[in-house]
Amino acid sequence: MQSGMRSGAEVCLLELKGIYKSFGGVHAVRDVTLSIDHGEVRGLIGPNGAGKSTLVNLMSGLLTPTAGTITLDGEAVTRKSAHQRARKGIARTFQNLRIFPSLSVEQNIDVARYAGRGGALPEEAIDEFGLRDKLVQPANALSYGDQRRLEIVRGLALRPKVLMLDEPAAGMNEEETEALGRALTWVRQEADCALFVIDHDLKFIMTLCERITVLDMGAIIAEGTPEDVTQNPKVITAYLGEEAGLDA
Amino acid sequence: MTLTRSQKRGILGACMLAAILIAIGVLATYFASRYQLRLIYSAYVNLIVVLGLQVFMGNSRLTNLSHSAFMGIGAYAAAICVTPIAMKQIALPDAPWGLNAFALDPVTSAVIALVITGAVACLVGIFIVRMTGTGATIATLAILVIVHSIFLYRTDIFKGNQAFFGIPQVFSLTSIVILAVVVVFVVRGFRESPWGVMLRASADDETGSAAMGVNVVRLRLIAWVLSGLILACAGIAYAYFLGTISARPFYFNHVFLTLAMLIFGGMRTVTGAVLGTFAISFGLEVIRWLETGPVIIGVNLPEVLGLSGVMLGLVIILTMALRPVGVMGDREIEELVLKKK
Repeated sequence: MQSGMRSGAEVCLLELKGIYKSFGGVHAVRDVTLSIDHGEVRGLIGPNGAGKSTLVNLMSGLLTPTAGTITLDGEAVTRKSAHQRARKGIARTFQNLRIFPSLSVEQNIDVARYAGRGGALPEEAIDEFGLRDKLVQPANALSYGDQRRLEIVRGLALRPKVLMLDEPAAGMNEEETEALGRALTWVRQEADCALFVIDHDLKFIMTLCERITVLDMGAIIAEGTPEDVTQNPKVITAYLGEEAGLDA
Repeated sequence: MTLTRSQKRGILGACMLAAILIAIGVLATYFASRYQLRLIYSAYVNLIVVLGLQVFMGNSRLTNLSHSAFMGIGAYAAAICVTPIAMKQIALPDAPWGLNAFALDPVTSAVIALVITGAVACLVGIFIVRMTGTGATIATLAILVIVHSIFLYRTDIFKGNQAFFGIPQVFSLTSIVILAVVVVFVVRGFRESPWGVMLRASADDETGSAAMGVNVVRLRLIAWVLSGLILACAGIAYAYFLGTISARPFYFNHVFLTLAMLIFGGMRTVTGAVLGTFAISFGLEVIRWLETGPVIIGVNLPEVLGLSGVMLGLVIILTMALRPVGVMGDREIEELVLKKK
């Protein structure tokens, strides 16, 4: 609890306690307990099928846990629907893009702005993510990379307390990934929200996040600084072992 | 409050459509025969119905098949309130609850009709907006059948298939043109309002919109009730012009006709609703003339009864097959004129 903690803040921003989720007989998420502090940048890694996306869906309210509680700023949100949680400050992007194709780029952002807390941040984010010239375009005319960036700007337009990014660098080349990293560093400094980043790209996660949680088979197997995590034998067996020649 | 880019465009687009509606009205006043005036009047009534349909279907992209029922509720409610007592004693001798023992002025009657239709829409809507896809479509069809059955068999109140007559004819072509213009602004205003944009977002991607704080059930209900109120306006305008109503015009044929108009023009835009209404209205008149077996350039064409129904069905099938988004697609009128930036 030492890193990213603000002085005087006594409750965690987002807290999961004993979260289970099963589909039929399959336990997708098992006894996950996790807390994210105000302004923290947390990474979530794990092999395919580890339950990362399920966990994000549980946190954003698209799924309801089989057991366990979720609190935001001390308030229980476990039974709140997705749109209620969004209005309370939990924003997210999607691994498979969920932009609104028939609306313009600007309207895509407006949808979040209508539910958000206002302020100048959305406008700044539009510039930072290079969407200023594309505002009047239909969202489905954007390139894949721009659609990914639009999702992040849209999430920021909610003025969230925590923004969860589900594989933000998926399908991007190295150059684009680097640019994304820079833009997310900007978000870290300016947006006054915690980030919860899920990605396969370990280098990306390691450079961006101060703490990393490792999920395997639906359960947390390690948590700590990037150095701690990469040296954890369980993590090496479960995940890093697959990645030959890792230099993190 | 400052307007967004699309709201400014919306005002421009609504003004352009209004200009067209007024122009057609003015031309009709000067050049149309009495018979043609009636046709044009009914085209404007149908336009208001199609606009009412567009508010719900175009923004939520759920299919509604009950719209003519709501038009009927508005028409009957206003008719029962406004018809003079002497006429009602003859038309509805057995009416319960003293319905034939009072009469109100047209404005109050219209307001009451709107309140009643709005209340019914709200009650029904609470169930409809929680359904999705086919479920919602079938449920709206059920509403149409229920309302029609009540109109048909509560003859002491609605006179069923017989004419409910004696309604004061207070509406003219000018009134309906003004009403249609107001409705165009309301419908386009809704489309570009935060509610309209959020509802369209939910139609594009329900999960994505929920994650952005959109309460889709609430927004669908708002659009549904607004739709009901616009349909009631159409019903009231219909009753106030003709002076006579019956259950038949608020049933399936009318549902199908107005649906064809919206689908052909393109349900996603207000421009599509206007274009579809006028194109189909005009096309149907041509077909009705062909049905009678006219003589063209010396060739005597055979009489083809039922051609209009066949053609209407074909229009729906062909639009669905070749261009499911209708003629206009996602484009509003001002986008055809303004240069793309």
